[in-house]
Amino acid sequence: MVLLFFKILGGEASKNFARSDISFGFGWLGDPPGFSIREGIDLQPNSGIRALAVGGLNTLRVAFSGIVAATLLGTVIGVARLSKNFIVSKLASFYIETIRNVPLLLQMFFWQVLLQSRSSLTEESVGTKLFDVSNKGIASTWVFPSTGFWPWLLIMIGGYYLARKVARTRRKYQEDTGEDGHPGLFGFLTILGVAIVGWFVHPLLSFLSILWDGIGNLIGAVPAASVSLLIAGLAVAVAAIWIKRFLDTKRTPAGLGKLTDDDIFRMIFAGVSALVIVWIAFKVGGAIINKPDGTDASVAAVLRDGLANIFYWFGDKFTGEAGSPLAISRPVVEVRGTGGFIQYGTTGILATVAFASVWIAVTLYTAAFIAEIIRGGILAVAKGQTEASQALGLRRSQYLRLIVLPQAFRIILPPLGNQYLNLAKNTSLGTALAFGEIVAVGSTLMNQTGQSLPIVLVWMAFYLTLSLSLSGVVNYYNRRMALVER
Amino acid sequence: MSVANNKDVIICEGVKKWFGDFQALKGVNATVKEQEVVVVIGPSGSGKSTFIRCINRLEAHQEGTIIVDGIELTNDVRNIDKIRSEVGMVFQQFNLFPHLTILDNIALAPLWVRKQPRGEVEEEAMALLERVGIPEQADKFPGQLSGGQQQRVAIARALAMKPKIMLFDEPTSALDPEMIKEVLDVMKELARSGMTMIVVTHEMGFAREVADRVLFFDYGLVVEEGTPDHFFENPQHDRTKLFLSQIL
Amino acid sequence: MTDHLAPLDLAELAPEKPPSGPVLWIKENLASTWISAVLSVLAIGFAAWGFRGAVLWLFAPDRRWDAVIANMKLLSVHSYPEAQLARVWLSVGIVFVLIAALLAWNRVGGKVAPRQLSKVLLTVGIALLAVGILMPPGAEKWETLGNRMLWLVGGVVLAGIGAVLTRLPDSRRKAETVPIMGVVGVALLGIITFLQTATMAFPIPGSPAPENAADRIFEATPIAKSTANPWTAIIVFAVLTFVVMSWFRSRTEGEGAGVRRLLVSLIVASFPIIVLAILRDPAINPETLQKFVVTGIIFAVAGAAAMYWFGAQEAGESRRAVASIVTLVAFIVLVFPGILPLPSSITPFTEPFLFRLLLLAFALFALAAPTFGGAGAALHRYVAGWVGTAVIITYAIILITTESTVDVPGNFFLGGLGLTFVLSITAITLSFPLGVLLALGRTSSMPLFRMMSTAYIELVRGVPLITWLIVAFVMLPVTLPEGIELSGVMRALIFMTLFSAAYLAENVRGGLQSIGKGQAEAAQALGLSTLQMTVFITLPQALRAVIPALVGQVIAIFKDTSLVTIVGLFDFLHIARSAINQQSQPYNFVGVFLEPLLFAAAVYWIFTFTVSRMSLRLEKKLGVGER
Ligand SMILES: Nc1ncnc2c1ncn2[C@@H]1O[C@H](COP(=O)(O)OP(=O)(O)OP(=O)(O)O)[C@@H](O)[C@H]1O
Ligand SMILES: [Mg+2]
Repeated sequence: MVLLFFKILGGEASKNFARSDISFGFGWLGDPPGFSIREGIDLQPNSGIRALAVGGLNTLRVAFSGIVAATLLGTVIGVARLSKNFIVSKLASFYIETIRNVPLLLQMFFWQVLLQSRSSLTEESVGTKLFDVSNKGIASTWVFPSTGFWPWLLIMIGGYYLARKVARTRRKYQEDTGEDGHPGLFGFLTILGVAIVGWFVHPLLSFLSILWDGIGNLIGAVPAASVSLLIAGLAVAVAAIWIKRFLDTKRTPAGLGKLTDDDIFRMIFAGVSALVIVWIAFKVGGAIINKPDGTDASVAAVLRDGLANIFYWFGDKFTGEAGSPLAISRPVVEVRGTGGFIQYGTTGILATVAFASVWIAVTLYTAAFIAEIIRGGILAVAKGQTEASQALGLRRSQYLRLIVLPQAFRIILPPLGNQYLNLAKNTSLGTALAFGEIVAVGSTLMNQTGQSLPIVLVWMAFYLTLSLSLSGVVNYYNRRMALVER
Repeated sequence: MSVANNKDVIICEGVKKWFGDFQALKGVNATVKEQEVVVVIGPSGSGKSTFIRCINRLEAHQEGTIIVDGIELTNDVRNIDKIRSEVGMVFQQFNLFPHLTILDNIALAPLWVRKQPRGEVEEEAMALLERVGIPEQADKFPGQLSGGQQQRVAIARALAMKPKIMLFDEPTSALDPEMIKEVLDVMKELARSGMTMIVVTHEMGFAREVADRVLFFDYGLVVEEGTPDHFFENPQHDRTKLFLSQIL
Repeated sequence: MTDHLAPLDLAELAPEKPPSGPVLWIKENLASTWISAVLSVLAIGFAAWGFRGAVLWLFAPDRRWDAVIANMKLLSVHSYPEAQLARVWLSVGIVFVLIAALLAWNRVGGKVAPRQLSKVLLTVGIALLAVGILMPPGAEKWETLGNRMLWLVGGVVLAGIGAVLTRLPDSRRKAETVPIMGVVGVALLGIITFLQTATMAFPIPGSPAPENAADRIFEATPIAKSTANPWTAIIVFAVLTFVVMSWFRSRTEGEGAGVRRLLVSLIVASFPIIVLAILRDPAINPETLQKFVVTGIIFAVAGAAAMYWFGAQEAGESRRAVASIVTLVAFIVLVFPGILPLPSSITPFTEPFLFRLLLLAFALFALAAPTFGGAGAALHRYVAGWVGTAVIITYAIILITTESTVDVPGNFFLGGLGLTFVLSITAITLSFPLGVLLALGRTSSMPLFRMMSTAYIELVRGVPLITWLIVAFVMLPVTLPEGIELSGVMRALIFMTLFSAAYLAENVRGGLQSIGKGQAEAAQALGLSTLQMTVFITLPQALRAVIPALVGQVIAIFKDTSLVTIVGLFDFLHIARSAINQQSQPYNFVGVFLEPLLFAAAVYWIFTFTVSRMSLRLEKKLGVGER
């Protein structure tokens, strides 16, 4: 099997590539892709890389909102299934058994059909709405960043830390005196106060725009090759630090412990991975692509300019203009264009039918699995713990928060992370509904350019990054929880 | 020291309890007086644990009445809360909270249920650990302690709520012989200090030495009761005689 | 203190009945606190509202269930020729009969107490009644299924029996007296009656579809004899088999392990035979056949002789080394056929692909011979095993490579539910050994194996299945060596197998890691070799420990086969989603989306739910997780 794969990567493949006139390269990243995407930050991407970025963002958008919703729903259902109330627990089981035994793709089709069979927009529906569902999708009122949002956000981040400090002081007061210190209330009031004050004083931060522009200029001035160098250096440094730490864990007072095959293998693997990244950094970074404006540039330079642009963009937001940082925006149904198409306008937020179907389906589907995990985690907390807490007179809410949650969390976390990853991967079924996520965009690009292998590599890099970041978070919390028990 | 004239703190009348179709208690009548130490013995499965777990309502009885310190046990949550903070319990399997340090295990309930200030709570907790003889273990986790030490922590944890009554469900059954003594010593000290105690145990030596009264359980009923001397020397009932002949 | 208890007469202390009754039950299960009571009211309201909505929707006269009924054949086997459908019925029949035999031999069933039965009957009966009451006007359009009286009567009868059972005296109510298989038999009888007597609603063919679907003119049509009779026959045969086998079982002493093993192997073998021989029906050509047969015979005979040499007791490491080299060569030659063409002297009477495949199989057998062979009878048995394997491989290759008489457009003779089953069962069976090998590789002490397995597993699991399927359909064709072409189904099959092997491997690895060191040490102390230890000690325990996870994986694969819809294969979901709603002749099903989709959902659900329930029972029986 491994052989088969290596074979695909290996010589035989390149021979066949040559035969079928397929070149292996990254030039297409800069070429206009020649197709449009139905939703996302850019409907007419002007380069392959931008099209993939739009797809990737669509995936992330549906994945993250799905993860949040599925976690909430799954927790409710998992707890409901444990309820002593007969009918509540039966309803929860019914949900779980129905949802998880039907293929996800079928469920996506189901929601798609259901949404598409909603009535279409007509003359009567023209007007401003709060919330509207039609066969064009789901439109809802939404809150958007507006003038001075970014300076205000900066103030809010400061406010968050201030609130944490206040809450801590109040908790300490409570523990010292036994009187209720209302730490939560005080923290909330602090952040509320900061938010209100910040709402009006945010123009004062306009001087920071010079700072952001300065950083942008600084980055823009760096030679392109150093981007590759930086990435390569980072990879090597991370690998080196990892190996050093790994060796440290093996160190005993009597000197370095004996290393098993496995340990050596791991270190070699870390080293080789770093070298591979170095190779990719230079190989891909040096590749020349033509930018939309017609000029040529190396991938590294494009990346560098992109980073600099982020800071310029940020600088532009610190104008010092007064105004409310957040704006409520309501969807409108309007007659557009000369043809008299009745459509949703650009205000509010619109989930297209494809987006909504994918989102609803993955949320409901994953929630069923999460519910089972939550239930298992709670059941795994020994029965004696319940009895001991009851005997001590803890209330049910205290018992859940102080005893069950910390113990169940450790059991729940790893499989939960797995489910998050599954959800993210499952959004790729959106391809079947022409939802423009990364696999759909990639396979369209494949058909247009014939560059299948590079696109598969992009997919891998995307999902790998996603899963590594997720498991990074999971491991972080796991270690924190594990420390508590020792 | 005689307790005969003290007032009744626990009164059970006709207590019946079923698990599904299985009847575990068939009408238990018993009273416990203030400062009295009552030892409950009986064969396995006779309903001893079920009985004392009904007293702080870890199990709900279905028929009969239980009155603890003048409060009747019903479904009323307020009564249950009140009783649970006055009745401490020690389990066979210790049931310490594995994710909390020894000190936090003891401090948890006073902090959250009695809402006492932390400084005070920790002082008392340390004092309790002194009393059960393991102050040096305060910052360890339950998993790092021996069984006997864990059980003593469990006793300290229950005492931290300053209960009027302590329930012990076979506190030494999960322990190695050399650890049993250290736990029993703590319990004896507690009994001498005038605590009202109900103890389910198979430690007959403890029963003879400390108990004011012995209840013998079988078939979900109090089959026989009496002072330790009376009970061990001159049992009335055949079942009791048989049971004693097997264990003594 | 005195003893105030007179000695008790313990014999009189018979337990009393617990307090019970509906009021108490409601108090405990629906209203233990006032929050719970409020929740109950809300939940009951919600459930009732949902149930009512579902019934009104399902039985509404403007539903298009006729789109499902009229397309049963399309949904089950797609374009399998009408004239050869008997092959499909035969296949289904074989599966049912074999399963019935195995169930009978395992004494599946047993007895339940009337109390449990009455609970089920009451629930089902009340549900039927509720359906009958809530059914919308106009439902009678659906003929038998929309007949309100039938639902009401059925509900009353079932609930009535259930109620009567609750009135039985306590001792009889709790004694396990009702044979489960008797109940199943009654249910099957009901199904046969339904098949033979029920009528279905059909729009009159060719009649123009009125704008309002509810106004369409229906014709009462009995269930087609071509459907009802085969099913009746299959059920009758299965029941007969069950009865006969039960009778035999009751007369055999002991475990009956031999027969059980035979039945299990028959079931396993029936799948390839059904697919390759019965359904596919190869048109075997005598001329080409000759080459295959000759190749097969050469390998069976010469291989058997060589196997004695490889497996002989005095065989040392040198013979094993020879076997290893042969394995390596065979593998390379199979994967890269261009490297070592067969000598022209033997090509006239041998089939090259079969030759290479048999060579690899032979090499693997030779490699394992010292471990599993042994002396005398054991070695004979091993050699016989080789001959059998050679024959089976030859036969399978003959079946696969010859033309099929089943002439259908497209690249595979089956579609619909049939394809879904072929895909999932093949992927499951093939990925299983592969997954075990990968798991062993990942836990092995040899860094090379470990690295390769780990890389493979992580690589495959790193991206979603759909990307692999796209790779299979876009990239694979250009990377394959010249001259080899794979049909879409084959490609999907290969990649589904490769994909699920990676997931299975992780499950098996979990099991392997859960086994204590003590087992391995004990095995080594007995003098077992590493391979023997793995095969006889570690692996069986590991697999047993992860049965729940493996079943979960099996279910996942079954559901995942629906993804081939995206790359254009005509599996069950594909037909339900986009084939039916394009039919304009003769019934005009254009725009009918929901009904076929929901039907498909129900079918998927029935299979996955059954499998998960069976695995729960299996777990309980084996006591998984208890040791
Ligand atoms: N939660 C429960 N569910 C069902 N039956 C129970 C439950 N708890 C106890 N029982 C049954 O009730 C009876 C009395 O149990 P109990 O634990 O009170 O006995 P015990 O006298 O404490 O015995 P031991 O000395 O073994 O602890 C036993 O037969 C037991 O099987
Ligand atoms: Mg007990």
